[in-house]
Amino acid sequence: MSAFEEFDKERREIDELLFKGYHVAAIREDLDGAKVTFVMGKPDKGQVTLLLLTADARKYIVTRYMEGKRANA
Amino acid sequence: MADLSIDLAGIKSPNPFWLASAPPTNTGYQVQRAFEAGWGGAVWKTLGDPIINTSSRFAAVHFNGQRVAGFNNIELITDRPLEVNLKEIYETKKRFPDRAVVASLMVEPKREKWHEIVKRVEDVGVDGLELNFGCPHGMAERGMGAASGQQPDLVESQTYWVKEVARTPVIVKLTPNITDITVVARHAAKGGADAVSMINTINSLAGVDIHTWNTIPHVGGKGAHGGYCGPAVKPIALSMVAECARDSRVGIPISGIGGISTWQDAVEFMLMGATGVQVCTAVMHHGFRIVEDMIDGLNNYLDEKGLASVTELTGKSVERYSNWGDLNLNYKVVARINTDKCINCNKCHIACEDTSHQCIDMLTGADGKAILKVREEDCVGCNLCSIVCPAEGAIDMVEVDSGEVPMTWNERQQEIARLNGSHSEAEVV
Ligand SMILES: Cc1cc2nc3c(=O)[nH]c(=O)nc-3n(C[C@H](O)[C@H](O)[C@H](O)COP(=O)(O)O)c2cc1C
Repeated sequence: MSAFEEFDKERREIDELLFKGYHVAAIREDLDGAKVTFVMGKPDKGQVTLLLLTADARKYIVTRYMEGKRANA
Repeated sequence: MADLSIDLAGIKSPNPFWLASAPPTNTGYQVQRAFEAGWGGAVWKTLGDPIINTSSRFAAVHFNGQRVAGFNNIELITDRPLEVNLKEIYETKKRFPDRAVVASLMVEPKREKWHEIVKRVEDVGVDGLELNFGCPHGMAERGMGAASGQQPDLVESQTYWVKEVARTPVIVKLTPNITDITVVARHAAKGGADAVSMINTINSLAGVDIHTWNTIPHVGGKGAHGGYCGPAVKPIALSMVAECARDSRVGIPISGIGGISTWQDAVEFMLMGATGVQVCTAVMHHGFRIVEDMIDGLNNYLDEKGLASVTELTGKSVERYSNWGDLNLNYKVVARINTDKCINCNKCHIACEDTSHQCIDMLTGADGKAILKVREEDCVGCNLCSIVCPAEGAIDMVEVDSGEVPMTWNERQQEIARLNGSHSEAEVV
């Protein structure tokens, strides 16, 4: 798989969760990548954790999060 | 025609091109010939305590057909008596009153030694003083030059002693053989320096002869570390100038030195904060008359830019020199190969495939000819292919709109820290 395809796969997973109404609740980065916790609505209806491995996806998730925050501000 | 004159902390010269303190400024004969050729100023070969030089002093690094990509020397300061130099300085200044004549000085770190030499040198009418805290060899072993320049407190106190008696502006010349040049520059400013100049030469050993096993250069079979300069050191010098220029705690004018060979080099140093520049290796390689091209080129450039004075260049690029952590991670460039200019040498493919991101494909075009094509989505925009490409214009690095909001590493880390409700530990300055 090319670097772009690896990123694209992770991006699609992120987009799908955001599309379903999940939002980012926590991002923990360590040697293995970024563990992103997504939660659904308030009160929490569900929780999903993605382990993002590609640098582009780790960049993408925070960009999406910042955009979301700005849109809601 | 633009005004090329500069004023470096009170030292005026008709153009920003000065000779650096080195063999080209060893004698009145040389400096006067340089002024005839058009040099705006000269920093005299360092005056100070008596020395003796070795025979076999210089070496050069030639790289792939480019002669003198780097230059190495184990020469010390002037070996001529002070009085002889002072007489020639006086005569030179009398003949060329409009040029900047600066005396470079180096004595032991003792207050009375500095007082004595400053008074004697200023009596012959120099326009300024440059304190040589940079020479990396020979003098350093005696506590002078770089040995002084590597200790910020010694730089400060010696500058202070000079300023106690100096009537002309004092430039402190800094050594690059230090971790953070701004620390020393700040201490020079605290000691009262009117300006700083940088860089002196970088610790070096030019090479080892693999047949005789001697160092290059060697003095009867033995060598010693020397000082490196010339085109190879320009990026190091430029970054040191930029670091000092953007540090408000330094806050004094800068004279840029290190690998300057052309008017374009000089413009780069001035854009990064230098008021003027000094040149050594390029003159040793090509002679005094290179200044004619430098003056013409700078004049034309300023006219093209619509600038009335060369001083308008100083510092214009400083704010663009930032911290890594403040660069936009969502900015994106990709490589594009212009097949009409590509000579199909495959260097870009090899570089990308072996050492970068494997995104340049070797394909066959509709006409059956080999073509190289970048898979843009996999390209990280590292520039390597365009750097190794020998065909002018065959590879462009093109900006693409990522469609994302700008986000720096520092913003990202702060955002994550806020989200997680803790403080960021990974900010990059
Ligand atoms: C042979 C030689 C002798 C030098 N002697 C001195 C000196 O006496 N005093 C000094 O301040 N710098 C001295 N320098 C350093 C130069 O002034 C200058 O800082 C350095 O060469 C970088 O500029 P460049 O790349 O244009 O050569 C010397 C350099 C060379 C090559």
